[in-house]
Amino acid sequence: MNGFFAQVIPPSPFNAPNGSAELWTRLVIALLLGVAAVVALMKAPVSVRKPVVAVSTFCAGLYWVVFFLWPRPVNRLPGDMPSGLVDGVGFWLEDANPIVGNLSNVLSAFLLGLGIYSLLRIHGMRVIKGHKDAFFSAVLLLGILAMGVFGYWDWLDKMSPTGPSLALEANWAFQNRVRDFLFDGLLQEMDAGMFSLIAFYILSAAYRAFRIRSIEATLLLATAFIVMLSFMGLVTGLLDGVIDGIKGTADPGFLDNFKLTEIAKWLRATVETPSLRGIDFGIGIGALAMGLRLWLSLEKTAVSS
Amino acid sequence: MQYGDTGWIGVTVTLLLVTFILGNIFRAKKGKDLYIRRIAGLNAIDEAIGRATEMGKPVLMVPGLGALNAISMQALLIFAHVARTAAKFGTPIRLCCADAAVYTVAQELIRDVYASEGLADRYDMDSVRFISDRQFAFAGGVSGIILREQTAAAFFLGEFYAESMIFAETANSVGAIQVAGSTEKTQTPFFIAACDYVLIGDEFYAASAYLNREPVLVGSLIGQDWSKVAIMATILLGALMNSIEMRGTTVFERKDGVLQPIAERPMKIADTTFTHLFKPQRNPEEDAKIEREKDPKFDAGAGEGGGE
Repeated sequence: MNGFFAQVIPPSPFNAPNGSAELWTRLVIALLLGVAAVVALMKAPVSVRKPVVAVSTFCAGLYWVVFFLWPRPVNRLPGDMPSGLVDGVGFWLEDANPIVGNLSNVLSAFLLGLGIYSLLRIHGMRVIKGHKDAFFSAVLLLGILAMGVFGYWDWLDKMSPTGPSLALEANWAFQNRVRDFLFDGLLQEMDAGMFSLIAFYILSAAYRAFRIRSIEATLLLATAFIVMLSFMGLVTGLLDGVIDGIKGTADPGFLDNFKLTEIAKWLRATVETPSLRGIDFGIGIGALAMGLRLWLSLEKTAVSS
Repeated sequence: MQYGDTGWIGVTVTLLLVTFILGNIFRAKKGKDLYIRRIAGLNAIDEAIGRATEMGKPVLMVPGLGALNAISMQALLIFAHVARTAAKFGTPIRLCCADAAVYTVAQELIRDVYASEGLADRYDMDSVRFISDRQFAFAGGVSGIILREQTAAAFFLGEFYAESMIFAETANSVGAIQVAGSTEKTQTPFFIAACDYVLIGDEFYAASAYLNREPVLVGSLIGQDWSKVAIMATILLGALMNSIEMRGTTVFERKDGVLQPIAERPMKIADTTFTHLFKPQRNPEEDAKIEREKDPKFDAGAGEGGGE
């Protein structure tokens, strides 16, 4: 059983030599079975679908709960046999981990297909119906197609064991140049463009938030002002220098508490950090409660109420 | 192994919190009347939808960048409530997803909401959209929808990162009422600065209980509160124990997981009992004593087994 999950010894029915016809046949069969299972689940009446979903969710969650709670094998070396029942279950859980991870990757791949279908349907219909923004939809569809074709073509070149090294630009063929232009020349640059917009948005949001309208807004403004000033070397040098001038630089004294850097440090350590820790605890417990409700299928209110 | 990393007490505390939550769920199911305080951000949901209905413009919902997890599910459950209200008034909705799995679940959920209200004919398949799984392509796509369709209300609930400001400011520029909440504490200040209503921290998880008043959810919420009280008590106890203990000195220090005698010095936080309860250090010599038989069929080239 352990070897079955580890997919090594003995050879499992899911294994076949890389690139062989046998592997491709198994892949196609697995794909067809997967599609059939999804279609069957979609066509099944709700009374059948609900228990299937609940049991699957419970089993999947149970693996991770046991994986978290069960002591993991310490100091395990390749080729080790488990030393007892506890160790054996630990081995089994550890070996099953990548397989369970792969199952979730397979599901994600199926769902990505549905996402792409959504894009194609919405934008394809816009192009066909001559919507006023049909041009942009056409660019998007062309972009998806070009990125898919040239990305895969480029990937095949990179994976080829016999081809020239693509680390040298001189060896690049047409497809490598087009992929480079599409990905590094366009997509990455546009990403960077969108990211840089944030600086301006922060400015406009800060202007609205920091206007003195209430006691809370005034406190926020004053705190932000102190913390921002504490990051400016020239300002802290001047203001902290005034304190040093009054008390002298010899030993730390009571007046040091009034240095700008100390006030900012106090604000961050005593006001900011505990608040964030409080938020962290709340979010963590909330996620735990939500996870429990989903795992035990107690969360049914979205549609039923 | 987590018993080595966090100690038995970490696992015990987790199990205690689970007991609080499940115990209160069963308590609430028995019909106990439990109180939930007012949350302004959630009261604003109906106001925002009402405004969109009056203006005849769509309501926008964004569950963030996260994959299909507890956070996205919570966001979708709140959106199901929004969609139900919008369906009753015939207000158009736009739900934009960055993750294909979230998109699929969202589509099923919203379709079921319309069907459960007897308004299946009003459901528009294109109202739930997959935009892109790249952060800024998603930000650009959603901003485009806000500007082109002039959304009157915007709900940003879920896992948000740097794109939060782009959404919030774009929605603000078209005059939309914004209700936001993120589980990413680094983004919460941005939302507070830019949005009309913000769900802070675990208010996000309280939303479905607040909106539906379903016993299971309300009980779970009370369980969360009990858990927070337990954590606060632990913090208080830890502060007291550390304060008392750190008045003394120590003559031992852990190095590589082994207690070694040192010259006497004042206690540090790392030396206290409370720290060792939650962060015990492993003794590598003890670990090395575990002996196991070798698999006779093991081939070193096959790469079986793992290791910690």
